[in-house]
Amino acid sequence: MLGFAVRRLLTLVPLLLIVSLVFFLMLRLGRGDPALDYLRLSQLPPTDDALALAREQLGLDQPLAAQYWSWLSGALRLDLGRSWSTGRPVLEEVLHFLPASLQLAGTALLLVVLVGLPLGLLAALYRDRWPDHLTRAIAFLGVSLPNFWLGFLLVLLFSVQLGWLPAMGRDGPASIIMPAVATATMSACVTLRLMRSAVLGVLGERHLVFARARGLPRRTILGRHVVLNAMIPPLTALGLHVGELLGGAMVVEMVFAWPGLGRYALLAITNRDFPVLQGFVLVMTLVFVLCNLLVDLAYAWVDPRIRFGARAA
Amino acid sequence: METPLLRRSLLATATLAWMPQPVSRPRAATAAARSLTFSWPVNAGPLDPHGYSANQMYAQSMLYEPLVRYVEGGGIQPALATAWRQEGRDWVFTLRRGVRFSDGTPFDAAAVVANIRAVLGRRQNHAWLDLVAQIEDAEAVDAGTVRLRLAHAYYPALPELALIRPLRFASPAVLRPEGGVSAPVGTGPWVLAETVWGERDVFTRNTLYWGEAPALERVVVKVVADANTRALTLETGEIDLTYGTDQLDGDTFRRFATDPRFTTAVSPPLATRMLAVNSGRSPTAELAVRQAIQHGVDREALVRHVLLDAEPAAQTLFAPNFPYTDLGLPPFGFDRARAEALLEEAGWVRAAQRGGSRRKQGQELAFDLCFVGSDALQKALAEAIQGDLARIGMAVRLLGEDAATFYGRQRSGEFGMIFADTWGAPYDPHAFLGSMRQPAHADYQAQRGLPMKAEIDRRIGAVLVSTEEEHRAAEYRWLLTTLHEQAVYLPVSFLTNKLVYRKGFGTVPFGDTRYEIPFAQMRRG
Repeated sequence: MLGFAVRRLLTLVPLLLIVSLVFFLMLRLGRGDPALDYLRLSQLPPTDDALALAREQLGLDQPLAAQYWSWLSGALRLDLGRSWSTGRPVLEEVLHFLPASLQLAGTALLLVVLVGLPLGLLAALYRDRWPDHLTRAIAFLGVSLPNFWLGFLLVLLFSVQLGWLPAMGRDGPASIIMPAVATATMSACVTLRLMRSAVLGVLGERHLVFARARGLPRRTILGRHVVLNAMIPPLTALGLHVGELLGGAMVVEMVFAWPGLGRYALLAITNRDFPVLQGFVLVMTLVFVLCNLLVDLAYAWVDPRIRFGARAA
Repeated sequence: METPLLRRSLLATATLAWMPQPVSRPRAATAAARSLTFSWPVNAGPLDPHGYSANQMYAQSMLYEPLVRYVEGGGIQPALATAWRQEGRDWVFTLRRGVRFSDGTPFDAAAVVANIRAVLGRRQNHAWLDLVAQIEDAEAVDAGTVRLRLAHAYYPALPELALIRPLRFASPAVLRPEGGVSAPVGTGPWVLAETVWGERDVFTRNTLYWGEAPALERVVVKVVADANTRALTLETGEIDLTYGTDQLDGDTFRRFATDPRFTTAVSPPLATRMLAVNSGRSPTAELAVRQAIQHGVDREALVRHVLLDAEPAAQTLFAPNFPYTDLGLPPFGFDRARAEALLEEAGWVRAAQRGGSRRKQGQELAFDLCFVGSDALQKALAEAIQGDLARIGMAVRLLGEDAATFYGRQRSGEFGMIFADTWGAPYDPHAFLGSMRQPAHADYQAQRGLPMKAEIDRRIGAVLVSTEEEHRAAEYRWLLTTLHEQAVYLPVSFLTNKLVYRKGFGTVPFGDTRYEIPFAQMRRG
């Protein structure tokens, strides 16, 4: 398993290189002029001289290859350049905002696991009865609600009407409840449906008949033979949800003024702040790959056939 | 067995999803008696008085003061200078005595000279401002007197010295030789006490302030980028105030205006929301077509239905509350019949089929109206204008593009009509007119087809260095009358600052310019 993890980590190097190059070209070959945006942000008239000066200051007057090399050589020294809109080092800003995003995505993931899996199990055990109908209706509603809209609805109810929770900011444990619920809802509902169908699949297996024949208590049958076997599909999906949660958090962070990386990146998109966007994509690629690696390791841990299969191979 | 399991699952889910937290009611959190909580889309920035992005102008104006202050209507009042006089091309300022920067450094002629030389040392960064180009040097006559040596007798020196940036003053102790400041230290009524990146900036009173101390002790500015979130947090009491041109959209502002729990107010005009009409491209190159556009657009309806009455309709390039602009120019007025008659006289006749656009010598009366695609307000205005002009036989093609492409069109002149607001007080009218001579501006592009463009540019150059008040007023009259008659601008409305706060909060006045927020004059209760 260690070798597997090391091999996966080594693939990160070419992956990051390719991602950075592709994204660099996408930004540079896109329409528009970032020097013009820079002047607009500064509320300066875009005269020819001002544009030329801005291009020189931002390094945009260099050939594309030189620009990329300059960025890459800096990145190798952990210098991701300076934000065009704030003038601060990008890595410093990314590391400042990353913990808040990870906290939000982590809490949302916890909600996905703690809500999606038990409700999925419940729906399967009570198939075609009212708990199943209810959870399926919730799941249908949950996957249909855009997270930013759900966020506003939550704020209207719990902040404006009831005054129970703060509408914005990251100030105390209460402030994470609504952003986490808004971020987690869609993934939790998908997980619920996946868990339901996985459990239903396992419930039809013959080994459960044998387990019952052995006189095993229902709790043991459910825990060891149903839940554990049904975990594989939702667990695989969780790896994908990590990206979805981090991505979904971007909009939710904006709605709740949550000081995370998503809001930071959205503002950078608006301002065409290339160094920030390049740094953001690099860091998110890293986070995404590491999360998927963790899920793969968990996958192998849950299913012995994968461990043994890997060894045999 | 099934029932306990169901109960346990539901209970566990509910408990885990809605973990009970010690929640404090947000309304109580901001009820600090002498504190005000405001919001802004980004942090205040490094607060360099001579810097641009990412320095936020509202925050620069809290910390740094000018030599003279611009007041509504174009008047100039003392600030860090108590008296001034023009000696030929030079301006001589008597500095206020007893002023100290918030780090204790005295504010004197040496401090003024150090700051102005810091600006002149990076002159290329400030090339947009004529005054910086005009200043040759600053000299300390004595500790309390400063002489600014100018290349010409530049009359707008005073309003440009009043600008929020770049000619304000940081403590010489924090000026860095390579430009910028090592810490934000000014003479203004506030000091920056805390910045939490991405979350808030906290300003407290400057205990060394020379003037009347602000009634508030603290201003907390939370970082809120989304306008809907800002409106909701105003309702929950997490922020006390919204203030600005576009902090809230028109619909939300109207909702607050009808809510008895809130006080709303609209400032006098601060700038003009308008479209430039291109005289250098067919068919808008024809005066009759441009005049027909003026008569064909129902500004009152635009203001009522699109801007939701949050801004007054504009009939002239500048509002009459700016210097030299109260000229009583006759408005074009909404008159569809007059517009049609103008087009008929010019040879633009309607196509045979009903509802078709007009044609002349085989050419369709059609042009592009350009706007920023992501700007919902510009889009709504553009669609309404398109509808109005269609009724007089003009085919307007709407081009909603990304901001960079849009500004590229302003620079290149590839437009029939394009949104282009004026700069507002204290730039209007002199600095805005000055920029009309720059080919990189939509105004230059809009005017380039006018037969008197060279004369317009010459007169703008002359008026800026004119020393006689009467001559200056006459020149402005000619310039503004000519631009009005030539119909190269379609003024829509006058931009205003709008404020909303909870009833009973206290006193919240408007600032004199678009970007200054007068926190020092606000008081609770």
